[in-house]
Amino acid sequence: MIMQRELTHPNALYIHIPFCIKRCSYCDFNSSVYQPDVASRYVAALEKELGGVKDHPYKTVYIGGGTPTAMKEGQLNQLLSAVSSSLDMRRIKEYTVEVNPGTVNARKAALLRWGGVNRISLGIQSFKEKGLRLLGRIHSRRDALDAFSVLREGGFNNLSVDLIFGWSGQTLMDWEEDLTEVLSLDPEHLSAYCLTVERGTPLARQIRTGSVPRPDEESQLDMLKKTINFLDNNGYKHYEISNFAKKGYRCRHNVNYWKNLPYVGIGAGAVSYLNGRRTSNIRDILSYIERIEAGRSAKTFGERLTPRRRAAETLMMALRMTSGIKEKNFTVRTGFTLRELYGDVIDRLCVLGLMGIRQGRLYLTRKGVFVADSVMMEFL
Amino acid sequence: MDTKRIRNFCIIAHIDHGKSTLADRLLEHTNTVSPRELKEQVLDDMDLERERGITIKASAVTLLYTRDGKEYMLNLIDTPGHVDFSYEVSRSLAACEGALLLVDASQGVEAQTVANAYLALEHNLEIVPVVNKVDLQQARPEDVIEEMEHTLGILPREVVRVSAKTGLGIEDVLGAVIDRIHPPKGDTAAPLRALIFDSEYDEYRGVIVYVRIFDGSMRRGDRVYMMKTKRMFEVTEVGIFGPRMTPAERLGTGEVGYFVANIKTIQDVEIGDTVTNFNEKAQEPLPGYRKPLPMVYCGLYPTMDTDLVPLRVALEKLALNDSSFSFEPEQSPALGFGFRCGFLGLLHMEIVQERLEREGNVNLIQTAPSVTYEILTTGGQVLVISNPDKMPPVNEIEEFREPVVNIKIIFPVEYMGVVMKLAEERRGSYKATEYLSQRRVMLSYELPLAEMIFDFHDKLKSATRGYGTLDYTFIGYRTSNLVRLDILIGGKTVDALSSIVHRDNAYARGKRLVKKLRREIPRHLFEVVIQAAIGSRIIARESIKPMRKNVTAKCYGGDVTRKRKLLEKQKEGKKRMKSIGSVEIPQEAFLSVMATNDNE
Repeated sequence: MIMQRELTHPNALYIHIPFCIKRCSYCDFNSSVYQPDVASRYVAALEKELGGVKDHPYKTVYIGGGTPTAMKEGQLNQLLSAVSSSLDMRRIKEYTVEVNPGTVNARKAALLRWGGVNRISLGIQSFKEKGLRLLGRIHSRRDALDAFSVLREGGFNNLSVDLIFGWSGQTLMDWEEDLTEVLSLDPEHLSAYCLTVERGTPLARQIRTGSVPRPDEESQLDMLKKTINFLDNNGYKHYEISNFAKKGYRCRHNVNYWKNLPYVGIGAGAVSYLNGRRTSNIRDILSYIERIEAGRSAKTFGERLTPRRRAAETLMMALRMTSGIKEKNFTVRTGFTLRELYGDVIDRLCVLGLMGIRQGRLYLTRKGVFVADSVMMEFL
Repeated sequence: MDTKRIRNFCIIAHIDHGKSTLADRLLEHTNTVSPRELKEQVLDDMDLERERGITIKASAVTLLYTRDGKEYMLNLIDTPGHVDFSYEVSRSLAACEGALLLVDASQGVEAQTVANAYLALEHNLEIVPVVNKVDLQQARPEDVIEEMEHTLGILPREVVRVSAKTGLGIEDVLGAVIDRIHPPKGDTAAPLRALIFDSEYDEYRGVIVYVRIFDGSMRRGDRVYMMKTKRMFEVTEVGIFGPRMTPAERLGTGEVGYFVANIKTIQDVEIGDTVTNFNEKAQEPLPGYRKPLPMVYCGLYPTMDTDLVPLRVALEKLALNDSSFSFEPEQSPALGFGFRCGFLGLLHMEIVQERLEREGNVNLIQTAPSVTYEILTTGGQVLVISNPDKMPPVNEIEEFREPVVNIKIIFPVEYMGVVMKLAEERRGSYKATEYLSQRRVMLSYELPLAEMIFDFHDKLKSATRGYGTLDYTFIGYRTSNLVRLDILIGGKTVDALSSIVHRDNAYARGKRLVKKLRREIPRHLFEVVIQAAIGSRIIARESIKPMRKNVTAKCYGGDVTRKRKLLEKQKEGKKRMKSIGSVEIPQEAFLSVMATNDNE
């Protein structure tokens, strides 16, 4: 049941750390190579920005990046302290930090744990050396396994692993082996992303110049099908296009996004969605720091959506989840009924076997998931 | 001027045989223009003509030439060279008593040379054969003269040899014009009879009418009467082309010039009409000539909707100066609003399109050309259709007729095999072979015009390494086994893609079209079936498999806006497509089928 309060008060706080040891070839996220002095000023700026948004009734906190653990322990500690001293920690049900292999040791793991973090998202991406090389990762398979056990031993009982499939040169067998290997770690949660070649990335350039072959869509599709079947059969419920969880371990923070409910984001380039208005901070790290230091707002972009657009967006996000959306909830969140906006479209897509309605829920069928973008376009 | 001192003539030649250069030399030699004034090719005053080296609109110039102390008025009436303009050729010929038949000394007799020479003979014109470019290394005047003798029965001793470029032999040409072409035969005392052979619209002065006076004379202030359109005008100016318009006192019998009479629209002037004196009307009009009907049609659509009005304005302007061009509004489900335009032939079509883009500054989409068909209905009615949409139901068709042309192809004899093959592939029926010389041959075929207009000329050029030339004349409509070929997408007929084809070609063409469409239509969420059909019978089928994968892997709070905008943009792209049922067809798909190059 959706509470009215959820619609108006943000449940989720996102904190962006735009630093990495090295940029990966496929990544187009807002991140740059870690520089200690910039990071110190950045954390101080974050603290200041956090001060302005600390009074919302957050239930989840997510520190993502970049690589938060690329920072020195002192900086990381300063950030964690700022969070725990500003927020009412008793309300926080889920507190995630993104970690990459090669940037974590027992001391950092302990630091995170003491800081109140109760969930780690570990970016392993691949256990294959050729995959790690192609993706431009800094770590080896061994480093990934070590990081996982360090975290487990550090007391984290909610670990999520990120994997990427569908990169050039990966065979279905390679991927099956990665899936088998990740199961042996027994994480609580898994994200398996099909590689997207984003414009402007080194990978896109390599493909354009022909030094790396273009990933094959058909084999990506086979891998996606394989992933869903394999993980479903092994106790991980497919609950979002790229996400799988054991019972009770869905990522609450992300589910909040997919429900198109309000959230606050702080840090360079971070996006907030509050009172029907979506805003984002300036992406450039130094500009962000300077603005915050000068006591100005870091926001550079804002949009207020028309009710129709917001409705379309709500559906677009909700359909990413296999549970889809309850027609009733759609109405509560948007003020429209699904029928009045999309009756014909829904009927047509149901006939094509791409959508289904069960117990008042509209959802994408398995077949629909594979062409989710095309289906969503029908609602815009 | 005493009519005995007047000579009216034109130059007929194949493209590139040097007609414009010869005209320039004549102008120069008679001091009509000084060499300094002489921009190259004075007679062709449109950019396009100069670029293509062809003369599109008939034009005229008066040369004053003194020989043996006597001044002569030589009126040179320009003619277009290309087959498409044989109508314009014939109206120029009607104003002349003689023609210079110009042939390139290395290229030899071409199909157009023959066609135009026959046309001149039909008009009882005195022909003065001229071989040009005799100064060139590769010139073979003896061979060429032999070809002229073979094809046109020209006596070798009558041929004047010139080099229009160097001026060699120009004096001889002028001499031959005076000596061999007879002066006009009009009656100076009779009521005015003047033939309108061209007209031009001038923004300030209205229509400028080009005339050849046959009887009587015309002066400023005369009230003239158009015998066919039955309209009266008061002449405000008469003059000659020197080559610029030069006002004169009067235009006398046998002379060629222009008059201005405050005529507002070009429709008030009909080429071929006879102008007489309003107060003293002639009994009989001059034998006019039939207005040619457009034989080739195509749709012209602006690339952008906003260009529709500018396009219409440009078409109207063009029609003012080109009475053989016609257009009417048309709406295509695929291309939106545009115009169905009629042309004399393919070259005419190309020129019009280029002129529109250049002068009207509009980008155009041109649909594949088609011809007009005649349908005899079971009710005994004859319908003329130029658009498959307008075809009556099959059970109401008694007889389907298509235009057929007589085509003459001249080429070096070694290409005989390929040319015959080409003609036969295009449903040509063989008529005759004539050897012009040892090396060159002329083949005659009867060929459906529809086969001719597609790309026959291009194919001929490539089959003969550029040496083959052709000309055609319309014979008439002939019964043919024609069918309407429909294209169905998702089971629905797409009107814009229907075409009329010969039954024997329907299968191959249908197959080609559906293949082409399969490449152009993007994948959908469902299977898209593309079919070609004759009536209810499916003759070709292709299908586009449903889209298999299109899903964004990552979408979190920071990605929502970007993601939505991306999808919205793609959706916008889809909106520009044309929906047939639930299938979205990009404009490129229509173009790939409707635009000219059907054969790959």
